Amino acid sequence: MAYCCLILLGKSIQKLVFGELRISEQQHLKDKFWNFVFYKFIFVFGVVNVQFLQELSFSPTTPGWSHVRLVGLLSSILMISGFMFIICICVGFFGGINTFAFMAAECVLLTIRTSHVLIRYGMFLYDMRQGGMTAEVSWDKRGPVAYHIELLFEAAALIIDLMHHLHMLLWSNIFLSMASLVIVMQLRYLSHEIQRKYRKHRNYLWVLNHMEKSYPLATTDDLKQNSDNCAICWEKMETARKLPCSHLFHNSCLQSWLEQDTSCPTCRLGLSVQPHVNHNHPNIDRIVETENTGRATNNHFFHFNGSRYVSWLPNFSVEVTHINTILRANPLATPTIAHTSQLRNMARQVQQMFPHYPTSIIIADLQHSRSMEITIDNILEGRLQIPSRFQNFDEDDDFGETSQNGPADATLETGPNEYFIRSDTSTGSSSSDSGYEIERNSNIFGNQNELLRDESSEDIPLGDRFSKSSVEREKILQRRKEMLLAIARKRFLEKSKSELNMPTSETITHHRNKTSMQSE
Amino acid sequence: MAGSALRRLMAEYKQLTLNPPEGIVAGPISEDNFFEWEALIAGPDGTCFEGGVFPAKLIFPPDYPLSPPKMKFTCEMFHPNIFSDGRVCISILHAPGDDPMNYELSSERWSPVQSVEKILLSVVSMLAEPNDESGANVDAAIMWREQREEFNKIAKRIVRKTLGLPS
Repeated sequence: MAYCCLILLGKSIQKLVFGELRISEQQHLKDKFWNFVFYKFIFVFGVVNVQFLQELSFSPTTPGWSHVRLVGLLSSILMISGFMFIICICVGFFGGINTFAFMAAECVLLTIRTSHVLIRYGMFLYDMRQGGMTAEVSWDKRGPVAYHIELLFEAAALIIDLMHHLHMLLWSNIFLSMASLVIVMQLRYLSHEIQRKYRKHRNYLWVLNHMEKSYPLATTDDLKQNSDNCAICWEKMETARKLPCSHLFHNSCLQSWLEQDTSCPTCRLGLSVQPHVNHNHPNIDRIVETENTGRATNNHFFHFNGSRYVSWLPNFSVEVTHINTILRANPLATPTIAHTSQLRNMARQVQQMFPHYPTSIIIADLQHSRSMEITIDNILEGRLQIPSRFQNFDEDDDFGETSQNGPADATLETGPNEYFIRSDTSTGSSSSDSGYEIERNSNIFGNQNELLRDESSEDIPLGDRFSKSSVEREKILQRRKEMLLAIARKRFLEKSKSELNMPTSETITHHRNKTSMQSE
Repeated sequence: MAGSALRRLMAEYKQLTLNPPEGIVAGPISEDNFFEWEALIAGPDGTCFEGGVFPAKLIFPPDYPLSPPKMKFTCEMFHPNIFSDGRVCISILHAPGDDPMNYELSSERWSPVQSVEKILLSVVSMLAEPNDESGANVDAAIMWREQREEFNKIAKRIVRKTLGLPS
């Protein structure tokens, strides 16, 4: 009885989750022609299986006994599918090779999926049990293993499914019926899926390769200096990889992030890596790699869509050339080139938008931020202050004039060594070691966080504690929610009462003035 | 992968419990499923949402710190950046890849260093200062721009409603 409910539940969940079921169901109808009872049996189990897969990935702190139950159920499914495989061999003897292949495919699929779930589940349990300090070490090593197991199972299941459908299509004598149409649709879906998997795998390999090559493992000194946890998983770092912007992350965390995006998670420094994930960069429309007189340089095209902000702003794109800063991995790589003229170009464009900002200020900020958009952002959010001595300057502050502003301009010309230093700028001021001025960048983000609220300053010790037992935690959370609501309600009532006592108009602006007066 | 998401969510839950930002309570709806949270957000003082306590639901993907969660207010909301079904539209909740409104800088998007706390604080500042350029709720955006009084009245009604008081 319970099983029936479970199956029904599974079906409904599946229906909600995957639109795919409809196809399978129709296909199921078709399959009734040969041996519907058998197929149905397996199909039902398949559905249950998928449901587990779903449930499993969302169930966190389930108690021990339910794990045992789940594992038991999974292994019994595995056994049943083995048993059915034997049946289908028997049937195959009488029904011919085609029937056999058809039935066997179902069995094998089921077996593969079940064992996949089992293994995933096992890893998940292992993971949870090791939750403490040791988990990190195992996690780092486990990453690739888990990935490959996953890949293997998924690929096997997909390929067998594909063959199975092909077989069905061919064997049903290719007469044009609804059924074969459905099968063809399913086939298309499958091949698409396989292609996607393949592309993903290639991407994975590429990222892996790139990480090995370009981002060195952090030294113990680095780790000591940076005692923070990994910003991605919030866990302690035993080993880590270092990005050019000197942010540290776990190997596996960084890898999974780089698979989907190509910037440093902390400071958003674009890691000009991927030739084939460019579409992930909406603002950097293209990353073109060019060989420039033997030096590896990357050209970024920044496209700024001015009309996003105000309709009259112009649209323009800017090309920024800068080097690969991965100096350690590639010691022979010469510093990259960035023409100061480009910087000026960018500054001019920014200034078009904000004519009251002196060019030198814009240039100085551009030099830090390396991106017009960040600078524009800085200006928009008022982070870029106009020093008082500039405020009297004419709005048409032009490059000729800025050269008079000694200090600001000097910083422009004495660029870090990756800049293409022009002949007139021989002031070789010692430049920072890494190409980018990361600190500036992280300051920007730091500011942003401060704007929101500084976490560390939030040291108000509350009587609440983080209980070890989940039941207690739930209760505490519930109580905190109720308290928040109760306090808000009380305050609101008090305020509206005092509002009633004051016989003034009820507009909110007045009311706000009142409350501020009260608070004083 | 679900394991690491779970550990991270647990860490965030712990941090939010031990060190909660003012006016924010958040945690899993039920400990059976850590991927669905409920958050209560107090309307920021000095704004039209002052005094209200707004419940919202956060749904985390299985690869959580890599993909952003989805956030949805479960009470009635009238705000330029909140869809009429309660979905919240702020840049921090958008993955770097997609740009539904085509106005955000990638630097403002989701990244794994963001957290529930930062999301909720962004939502608080969104409540305080709506961005009427991204029209998740066009009616609200227009009203916010042109009929502020009217907007404040609606906000007031919603505030009363969230507190369970008769309007």
